[in-house]
Order: sequence, then structure tokens, then C-alpha cells
Amino acid sequence: MSARLVARDVRKNFGGVQALRGVSVTVEEGSVIGLIGPNGSGKTTFLNLLAGAEKPTSGTIELNGRRTDGLPVNRVVGLGIAKTYQIPRPFLAMTVRENVAVAAMYGAFHRKPGEARDDAGRLLSLVGMDPQAETVAAELTVQHRKQLELARAIATGARILLLDEVFAGLSADELPRSINLVSKIQKELGFGALVVEHVMRAVLTLSDHVVVIEEGRTIAEGAPQEVVHDPAVIEAYLGTEVARAPT
Amino acid sequence: MADLGLVAADLVVGLMLGCVFAVIAHGLNVIWGVTKVVNVAHGEFIMLGAYGAYYLNLYLGFNPLLSVPVDAAIGIGVGFLFYFGLLHRELRGKETITRESEMVTLVATFGLSLILSNVALAIFKGDAVGIRWAPETLALGPVGVPLGGLYVAISSVAIIAISDLFLSRTYLGNAIRAYSQDIGAAQLMGINPTRIAAIATAIGFGLTMAGGALLTVWLPVGITPLIGSTYAPISFVIVVLGGPGKMWGSLLGGLTLGILIDVLPAFGISTSIAVAVAFLILIPVLLFAREGILR
Repeated sequence: MSARLVARDVRKNFGGVQALRGVSVTVEEGSVIGLIGPNGSGKTTFLNLLAGAEKPTSGTIELNGRRTDGLPVNRVVGLGIAKTYQIPRPFLAMTVRENVAVAAMYGAFHRKPGEARDDAGRLLSLVGMDPQAETVAAELTVQHRKQLELARAIATGARILLLDEVFAGLSADELPRSINLVSKIQKELGFGALVVEHVMRAVLTLSDHVVVIEEGRTIAEGAPQEVVHDPAVIEAYLGTEVARAPT
Repeated sequence: MADLGLVAADLVVGLMLGCVFAVIAHGLNVIWGVTKVVNVAHGEFIMLGAYGAYYLNLYLGFNPLLSVPVDAAIGIGVGFLFYFGLLHRELRGKETITRESEMVTLVATFGLSLILSNVALAIFKGDAVGIRWAPETLALGPVGVPLGGLYVAISSVAIIAISDLFLSRTYLGNAIRAYSQDIGAAQLMGINPTRIAAIATAIGFGLTMAGGALLTVWLPVGITPLIGSTYAPISFVIVVLGGPGKMWGSLLGGLTLGILIDVLPAFGISTSIAVAVAFLILIPVLLFAREGILR
């Protein structure tokens, strides 16, 4: 059965602040959903709710019909939903291979230590980090840390990935390569992804469907090209950036 | 000028004693490195380990080496109790230990240390006891190597080596290392944080009490309820010297202290001054090599 993550009318209050006022998103295995919105619109909060790092105030989150809201992060990962950190948090004293192997040992796969190391090797060649496999994570560049963050999330065996600004902070020449890489890996492995992103080019290239949120509610959704031409979206947030985006 | 034969003999004893110090410090190191909790009652659990070995010898005729697994098992049980009774409330659901939790655990373990040493004083009395276990002495030229001490030293190194292998090669060991580096990220890999913190605490206590049993070889008439106050500070120096969280650091630190404490007296410096010198090393280490002497 292919995985299907469904969030229905999810709301989240922090004290008196309504961070999310009813957002619904469905992510299916094999498809990429882009989630965009201005700073502070609730994107990261939404991702944290899906990953189990926070509990929604109301609304439901289901994976294949099974409720996951309220479960702790490690249980959610075990069911096959993995998240990356916006600022990568590798295990700094471990090598790149060990980092990925830990994800394969726990996560949803539960590989034995030996198998996990083999898995890690395969994944690292997939993300192009073979040469860094034995490097201690503390010595990696920003881009490599981001790739490692992605490799680790994939290594958990998750069928739904929640990618938090995987492309932020990359230089102009790293960006197209990185977008191509993620697109290639996603097609090859066929996982579903919810991509939170500021880099418009990445969202437009990768996503099959885009959801735009502002101040905690959905203001538009649809195919990437439709959404960027939606007047409400342009007014809310995209304005100048769309004018520059390749269409 | 010190007698060279005497210095050589002290060096050998210092090295063997240092191996035992390493196991004791290792217990503290695992708890500190993984949960970031400093167990001030560490010395009292060494003392309980030593009494455990003493009573196992008295009633069952166990030698200190045979008591090691028994003490370790008791220590593991105590560690789980300690975790769920005290630490869990402070660590649950947190990605880093808060200042408040640091204070709470410091004060609580300090209190525990006072309670344990005084209860021990009431039960065991102040008289020093000891285990008479003296396998032969091996003559290496002018130096006599007590075999009991040698067996204990070998066991100690084996314990450190096994725990290193455990941490790098096993399923649980990898999770413990991941947890000690980043609790949030470890959880995001599917690791259950409570489970790992509890198991690491249990392992730390197992090592500490096993270390107490090993130590009895060097305390033939010296087990008292107050030995914790001697060996806890030594453990702290070793952990800081070797670097918190570094397994082989414990061994290196242990050997350094063992040699200092045993060899300086051969040069006419009293043992208590030798211990003070050991503590003095801490100052330059803390100033210039905060991560310990091992890179």
C-alpha cells in the first residue's frame, strides 16, 4: 500500500497566538507538495506538527488512516514520516556514514548495525557523498551538511519526507545542482515529500502541487504555475519575486 | 635520590591501580557524557560496590573478580531506579538539560551522597574491613607484580574495551552515542530518548559498582563507609582529564592518576600531597585543554 499522509483542519495555538488556523494538506507517496508562505505564516509549525514535535490544538493527522497526532517524534518516524532540520543537526562527532547508519538502524527500517552501514554506503553514493563517507560530520561544509540531513531522513526508511528549507543558504551555482539532485532522488526512490521552501525556483521545479499559507491559513493551492499567478498569492507575498521567477 | 627498584615497583602498581581508577571514572563518564547529569553521589556507589564485594567474599567466598558481574548487575538495577526515581522528571521531553535541572540534580545527588555515607556508617560501622585475596606475586626482575592486581588490571582494560566496542558496534551503543550528541536529532532518527537515557544511566552505575568491587584488591584492610570521598574526586579529575564522553580518555586519565599517586611517594612526597598534585593538574587542563587531553 502506498503511504498517504492526511492533515485535516489542523490548528495550533501558542498561548494566545494562533499560529495555525485550519490547514489541510494531503501528501501521497510519489508526489511532491510545496508549502510556501511569508515568514511567520506557520510553515515550520505545521511541519513540526506533522513530525510529532508538537501536538495540534485541534484537527487530525493520519498516516494511512491511522492517527499520528499526539505520538512522540520517534514513534512518528517509526511509522514512516521523517523530517529534516532547516539548520542541519548532524551528530557532529560521528562520521557521515555513522550518521546515516544510525538513521537506518532506528527509523522505520530497523536494520542491523552491519546492514545499516551497507545501506548508508548506498545512500551516500546516491546523494553524491561517497568521498565524504568517513569524514567526521563537524568538518562538513554547509551544502554537505544539508545533503547529509536529507540522506539521514531517507535512511530512516520513511515514505513521506518533510523537508524544511533544504535549499536555503546555498550559493547560486550550488542551487541548480542541488535541485536536480533532490528531484532525481525523489523520482528514483518514489517517496512523497512536503517541501517547505523560500527558494521559489526549487518549489516550482519540484512540486506537483503547491499550498500557500498566510497567517496560519491556506490562501491558495493548485498546480505551481496556477498558484504563482493567483492574484491573492501575489498580493499576499509573492509580488516582486514572481515578477523575477522564470515562468 | 629515590631507589630505582622502588620507583619501578611503584610504577607497576600505579599502572595497575590506574586501570581500576579508569573503570570507576568510566562509570561517572558515561552518565555525565550521555545525560549531562553530574552524579555527586558517585563515590558512595563505589563504596557500595566495595562492600558488595566484601560481603560476597564473607558469605559466599567470592573473590573480587567473581563479584564484578554481581556488583555490575546490582548497579544496573540501581541505575534504573536512579533514572526513573530522580532523573526522568528532570530530563523528560527536553533537548538539553536546563540550568534548573542541573541545580536540582546536583543538590539531590549531593543529598543522596550524605544519606548513603551516613547510613553506611550506621550499618557497616567505621571499622575498616577488607578482602584477603592474594594470589601469588610474580617476580619480574627486582619488581614483584601481585597477580591479584594484575588480573584486576586486565579485567579493567577489558571492561573499557568492551564498552568501547559496545558503543561503536551495537544497535544500542549507536543510539547512546547519537543521544549524547543531539537528543532532538536522535529522536528524529526514531530513537526513544527515555529508553536511551535510562539504559545509559544503568550502564554507568553498573560500571561504578563493578569498579568498586575491582578496587577492593587494593584495599586489603581499607574498605570504610567513607572511601567514596577519596575516590569520587579522583574520578572527577580523570573524567575532566580524559574529556567527558571519551571512553579511552578514562583509561588515559586513570593511568595518569594511578602513576602520580603511586610514584610521587617514592620520591619522598607524602601520599596526600601526591593526591593534591593530581588535582593541581586540573587547573592547566581546564584552562588550556577543556575537551581533555585526548583529541
